[in-house]
Amino acid sequence: MKSKVLVFLSSLALVAGLFSIYACGEKPEEKGQAKVVVEKIHVGALNDMTGATSDVGKDYALGIAEAVHYVNENGGINGKIIKLHQFDYGYRIPEALTKYNLFKQLKCVAVLGWGTGDTEALAPTVARDKMPYVSASYSGHLCDTSKTPYNIFFSTDYSTQVRGLITAWFDKKWPQNPDYGKRKPRIAACYMFASPFSSASIKAYKDQAEILGFDIGSDQNVSLFAIDTKSQVLAMKEFAPDVVLHTNTVMSVAATLRDAYALKLGADHIIKCWGYDENLPKLAGPAAEGAIGCAPWAFFGQDVPVMDKVIEYAKKYNPGIALKNRTIHTVQAWANVLGLAEALKRADKVGDLSGESILKNGFETMVNFEVGLSVAPATFTEKDHRSQSEAKIYEYKDGKFNMLATVDLKKRWPDKWANEWLGW
Amino acid sequence: MSTTFLPCGDYHQNYKQEHAWWQTQFIKGKMILLFLSLFVFIPLLANGYWIGVFNMVGYTILGALGVQLLIGYCGQLTLGHGAFIAVGAYASTLLILEFPWPKFMMDWGIAYPLSVLIAGIVAGLWSILFGLPSARVKGFYLILTTMAAQFITVDFFLTQYVSQIGGRGQAFSLPPGTMKIGPWVIDSNIRVYYVMIILVIFFCVIMANLIRSKVGRAWVAIRDNDISAEVMGINVIKYKLLAFFVAGFMAGVAGAFWISNLAAISPDHFTWYLSLSLVGVILIGGLGSIYGTIFGSIFMVVVMELLQLAVMPLSDTYPKLMMDFLFIKEAAFGLAICLFLIFEPNGIGYRWWQIKNYFNLWPFSY
Repeated sequence: MKSKVLVFLSSLALVAGLFSIYACGEKPEEKGQAKVVVEKIHVGALNDMTGATSDVGKDYALGIAEAVHYVNENGGINGKIIKLHQFDYGYRIPEALTKYNLFKQLKCVAVLGWGTGDTEALAPTVARDKMPYVSASYSGHLCDTSKTPYNIFFSTDYSTQVRGLITAWFDKKWPQNPDYGKRKPRIAACYMFASPFSSASIKAYKDQAEILGFDIGSDQNVSLFAIDTKSQVLAMKEFAPDVVLHTNTVMSVAATLRDAYALKLGADHIIKCWGYDENLPKLAGPAAEGAIGCAPWAFFGQDVPVMDKVIEYAKKYNPGIALKNRTIHTVQAWANVLGLAEALKRADKVGDLSGESILKNGFETMVNFEVGLSVAPATFTEKDHRSQSEAKIYEYKDGKFNMLATVDLKKRWPDKWANEWLGW
Repeated sequence: MSTTFLPCGDYHQNYKQEHAWWQTQFIKGKMILLFLSLFVFIPLLANGYWIGVFNMVGYTILGALGVQLLIGYCGQLTLGHGAFIAVGAYASTLLILEFPWPKFMMDWGIAYPLSVLIAGIVAGLWSILFGLPSARVKGFYLILTTMAAQFITVDFFLTQYVSQIGGRGQAFSLPPGTMKIGPWVIDSNIRVYYVMIILVIFFCVIMANLIRSKVGRAWVAIRDNDISAEVMGINVIKYKLLAFFVAGFMAGVAGAFWISNLAAISPDHFTWYLSLSLVGVILIGGLGSIYGTIFGSIFMVVVMELLQLAVMPLSDTYPKLMMDFLFIKEAAFGLAICLFLIFEPNGIGYRWWQIKNYFNLWPFSY
């Protein structure tokens, strides 16, 4: 009897699934003449709500949905609305591949992706399928159009962030050190070796440190799940770095900052965007004081253009989440959605919403395009998908994120920017 | 369980008949229909999404066959099989990217198939290394030593050293056109599907034959009681290591196949969850059954996709449902393992065997 119930339930799920294959297709009544039907543009979204990067992924996912509501309620894509298919893939690459195939089945014209591992893994596939892929991975590897022509994002890429962080610290903080002029500054890095996201900018970090004349210490392997990093901090203590680079997400960065504080490492900390948000001071406490990070967007609630809408839609669609708990990652999501919406509008104006048209008539026509939210103007060309050359560097001090410097790498190293640094 | 009752009135006359692959004309007809379905109907009727789903099923079968061999047939518990898949994937990728193949081998599409074979051998040898503790430990302790394979291989060896080869950073990407079998470039879901289906059939046949050979009987004897097996004169260590090699070989080929699916790899394709889920697959499908491996993989991939499609129409009313689906999927997978262990410990494979025999013996089933 019990096994019959089991068989019945399994069959029910199967039948319901098969039925929904048809249900997912175009409904017959949509073709009716009497009914006014708003045309839909299907967009897929891969988010991490449960995996290794869920500490920052949840807020980003909320931001994606809210921003799409905003676009749809404000004219949509030239009158058409975006139908968002948003999935949690748990930061698992096989799951990302299955979902990507589903997006194709659902006739999505673009994908709002997430992590570096899956974005880089899917890059050959999206290039083959000519599917614009707007990711929350800002890996420098995704900017070289000769390798990844359909990958794009509205942010400073990781390598530029890291170069900017090291340069800003070198310009602003190192001269204040008593040893300035007497010896080379010392730098070390903490990141998860196995994670393509964490290690995406390590080559750029070492290159920039060499350019500026640092002594480079050995790298410390800190898991994205780390809650205790004392052994790594003690290993760094022997090298006595002046500054430590962190490229993980906020949970493990906070753990490292706490341990560095407790063990009196005595170094400054510079942090890539995903480790530097409103939760860092909450998680790291006093250890976060003086932490320097790169934030290509405004922090949640800052007085910048479009932020009022971000707050309005956060209240409207997720009233159960207090605004004080929302973070910069919502703003990041808005930047990508608004950028994609603009590209869709431009492609739609020429009457072609194919992937190639969205890229060529949409993204690659953007010159100094501003999405607001304090994001630097974005420019994409046929050869270069680095949307901006500015790294906005903040310092957390006295309970606030204060602007420390803006490093424009293109202005400072024009030759290297143009000829050397693209794609890594 | 591996044998099928013949239809009423049919009897074997000799050993040859008993050992035949297709024992009656009806079975032969069914198999031809199955082959036609796999090679003609599915590619014709299924769209890109479903072909992608079938490719995932094939990848899961290839991965789980080795786990089935180790746990289901040889009784060697493993929780680190993802590591051997990773070794195969990296071996094949590096051979394609770094090995100085003569131009004609690349042009004639020999390099990739050869790399798949070498990947299998490398993964098999790597698997033997982590199978060595099985000479001394078993059960829970063997689980821990095989888990070590996952962490030593993926988190340490592949991440720290192998991934750095060629200075590409963590992710290896294979340029278009490098994965070629003969004149066919493996560059679409449908071509990946054909590679998958050939590999799955090949390994199912190999494994089915191995199991009914001297080697297979030795493995089953070790599984049932290793001391008795040794008393009977079976070299337990040799056969255990052979099981690890064959399982590792299949895992290596699965890994090499995986790169054709994505054209890119990084260590986080091979998390410990992969190893764990492969064990879940054979628990649901049924231990000691090749059918079980196939059904478990179908359950793991297809049923979960169907479940997802079932809730998709509700996403307009409950938009968060799709975002929360992974929770539902994980919970359903976990629940399925529990329910199968309680109500059908022999797995879906056993249920399939019962259904098949019911029809074979109809109308005189007992």
